[in-house]
Amino acid sequence: MKRLSRRDFLKTAAVAGVGVFTGIAPTVRRVALEPFVRPPEEELPGRATWFASTCRQCPAGCGILVRVINGRARKIEGNPAHPLNRGKLCARGQTGLQVLYNPDRLKNAVRQTGGREPRQFKPIQWTEALDQLVSTLNGLADRSRVAFLGGLVPDHLVALVSSFLKALGAPPPVLFDLHTTLEGRAEAADLARRWFGKPQGQVQGFPLPMYDIARAQVIFSFGANLLETWMSPVSQSYDYGLMRQGQAGGRGFLAQFEPRLSMTAASADKWIPVEPGTEGLIALGLGRIIVEDNLGHVGSHRDHAYLYRNVSVSDIAQASGVSIETLRKLANVFADADRSVAIPGGYLAGLSNGAQTMDTVMALNVVMRRLGREGGVFLPHQVPAEQFTSSASISPFSEAQSLIERMKAGQVDVLFIHSTNPVYELPGWAGFVEALDKVRLVVSFSSFMDETAIWADLVLPDHTYLEGWGYQGVSPGADRPAVSGQQPVVRPLYDTRSTADVVLALAARLGGQVAQALPWSDEVAFLEQSSTQLLGTSSGIYDARTPDGFWSRWRQHGGWWTEKPLRDEPEVSGMPTGPLQVSPAAFVGDPQQYPFHLALYPSLALTDGRGANQPWLQEMPDPMTTGRWNTWVELNPVTARSLGVHDNDVVKVISPQGELEAAVVVYPGIRPDAVAIPVGQGHSDYGRFAERRGSNPLSLVAPLLGQAPGLPLQWAATRVRVEGTGRRQELARLESLDGAGREKLR
Amino acid sequence: MSRRRVLIIALIALALLGGGAYIRINRTSLASAAPVQPIPFNHRVHAQAGVQCLFCHSSALRSDVAGLPSMQKCMGCHQTIAADREPVKTLTDYWQRQEPIHWQPVNTMPDFVFFSHQPHLGAGLGCEGCHGNVGQMDIARQPVNMDMGWCLDCHLKQPSEKAARLVDCLLCHK
Repeated sequence: MKRLSRRDFLKTAAVAGVGVFTGIAPTVRRVALEPFVRPPEEELPGRATWFASTCRQCPAGCGILVRVINGRARKIEGNPAHPLNRGKLCARGQTGLQVLYNPDRLKNAVRQTGGREPRQFKPIQWTEALDQLVSTLNGLADRSRVAFLGGLVPDHLVALVSSFLKALGAPPPVLFDLHTTLEGRAEAADLARRWFGKPQGQVQGFPLPMYDIARAQVIFSFGANLLETWMSPVSQSYDYGLMRQGQAGGRGFLAQFEPRLSMTAASADKWIPVEPGTEGLIALGLGRIIVEDNLGHVGSHRDHAYLYRNVSVSDIAQASGVSIETLRKLANVFADADRSVAIPGGYLAGLSNGAQTMDTVMALNVVMRRLGREGGVFLPHQVPAEQFTSSASISPFSEAQSLIERMKAGQVDVLFIHSTNPVYELPGWAGFVEALDKVRLVVSFSSFMDETAIWADLVLPDHTYLEGWGYQGVSPGADRPAVSGQQPVVRPLYDTRSTADVVLALAARLGGQVAQALPWSDEVAFLEQSSTQLLGTSSGIYDARTPDGFWSRWRQHGGWWTEKPLRDEPEVSGMPTGPLQVSPAAFVGDPQQYPFHLALYPSLALTDGRGANQPWLQEMPDPMTTGRWNTWVELNPVTARSLGVHDNDVVKVISPQGELEAAVVVYPGIRPDAVAIPVGQGHSDYGRFAERRGSNPLSLVAPLLGQAPGLPLQWAATRVRVEGTGRRQELARLESLDGAGREKLR
Repeated sequence: MSRRRVLIIALIALALLGGGAYIRINRTSLASAAPVQPIPFNHRVHAQAGVQCLFCHSSALRSDVAGLPSMQKCMGCHQTIAADREPVKTLTDYWQRQEPIHWQPVNTMPDFVFFSHQPHLGAGLGCEGCHGNVGQMDIARQPVNMDMGWCLDCHLKQPSEKAARLVDCLLCHK
């Protein structure tokens, strides 16, 4: 090897030195300083202001504090004073900033010119848009032909829209979206109404039951992914922590019954991979053993014996694949604990025997006298003001279907759509796109050009939640009645307008009854008036002498809640009169042709797909597979071997309804007879981060028995087959593939 | 070239790059010429007219940063005063477009320093103590290299009971 001579060294050094001093050196970044054009009131440059508001990334309604510097929202944290999330916030809540600053937001109102196909959108002035709406509504021969379809709509807007539609003489708003479908929200409310409703009580809007996770010693969760997306995950995760830390005397025990190992199942003490559709049988078997052997310390079970009259535990063991010994052991664990609770989860609602299954799970709580007891089942105590008791209730799928039917029959002339994306969220056979064709004027209030907004004639973007006002009843509740208040933390970035203000302006312009029903000058006036219904309530954390004072404290605290915990004990009014029954679950697809159950699950990051346009969420690895930025198909190693496929091999998943292609993740945490796919990707519109990425597995969901009327969307009742394609696609994953290389570590 | 030679050359280049970067960082914060501003704002004229520093840089007493006046504040006077001057016309154009002016920073500090105006003013220091006699400058420039030695010069001169705290690394490098 040649030695470096002194001369060479000097030459090289000189060359490098010249390079350095002529500019191949890092420079210190200089940024321009931007003053306010008009400073916000009380703004102090360089000092953070914190605003208390409400998270709107899911329906839970967690309280947030937003750090604002120089008029820009910088960071979202949980509100420590809020009784629901108690200062904590999930990843989706943290990502809210990317809703506000999303580069694909609509910056102004637009109208579609040249029909709905060519997607020619032209900016439109707000006054012009309102003129068009008013003249269309005035021109209607029959104002009952107006419809409103909403998803994650804040409660104050639901209240305003409901009054608006009522005054028009139109049917009430339909609130339906995929997120609440996947968590079985409408069905959970229905379950509570069946068991605890008064005979002539509210039909709609029954409060969701609450399960006291924090103080329970034993929790049996039937498919409730309570640490991920189900109901109120931040609050439940906090309570799970308390349960584990043994607040109630000793470390709590969690058993999870579901076909796929979710993150919740992975955090549980025991995961029972049940065959889909047999969850109810297992609950039935457990109940039978408890009653038969008179387990537990709550006295005689004779009164409840009739519920389990014709149950054969050995038949159940055979049908569900869970052995009699395991069932006996589990029944003993559940009954021996002083504070045990059984939770019916969301995916049960997607099965044909969902309601029966949820009933059998609730029956376990009733048999063990767990209603209204520490670590048991509760109902929320109503907020003591009329405005907040009639909080929004999620419509069952049948109502969405009947809206679609009305649209198809040409009975809807004007359709308003707010914060739901049915074209993406509903399976194609629901016929939403075809139904849209029959509607004369479709108005979307979406902040983004999503799959539904592109079919709208007018898109009138609402403010994002960090720019807008509102309130949200907390449901399922915290340990006390609570309303989360929402207020703007920054000025609206673009020429958007609050939908509540659009509705109020419409009402004023229409005049007559409608204007009388909505007399408020703007939504803030409405909110101020609503909040002061709580003025003088002695149980609240604050009170004031004047409405103005109350309103300012409302905004300071970010809502209202009581000082002390307050929950209601459910009274069983709807005890089944005969034995509990669980019919065998029905599935679409011949088991010979379609050997696997399709187990869809909401992505922890993207939930039902509404997070797909936020790159932080796309980047967030799935907790179990560490996959991200794409759709994947989870196969048990045994299944993968029999199909001859490996990690990253692209497979075709075929159902009687449709097919999709995605890369394989070999995942030991799933039954060999099931195939799991996360929901959330596969957007054709919805901004640069969401589009053309992965597939939408809703396209596989087939209508069960032609989707019998009255049933929830049967999204867990489809069978599929899997075929290799011979192609490979490297899936973006945070960690190395499971198992690969680990043998060397030993 | 042999591998060793490549390696040696790379090492030398790296060392020089590092050194160059060090010098450059220091050079940019050396007392230097005034940066070119979008509007040639004249501090001397404003100071002679009796405008106090804190009238425009009003958050220095209460915040980390002294702050730049909002466009609204500029226009508060310049709606009428000197409205025919060329720079003020440029300002008015910005205002009519409701656009902020992108000012170039004059006094810079590296971003690993957590400096706050508030305690310095609270300790009775005047603006000119660090920023020089801005009232005599047409276009503002940085009069002194604000490096750590310069900070410590002053911090070490403080009474001993304060000095211990004032020379703690974590006071400025958090």
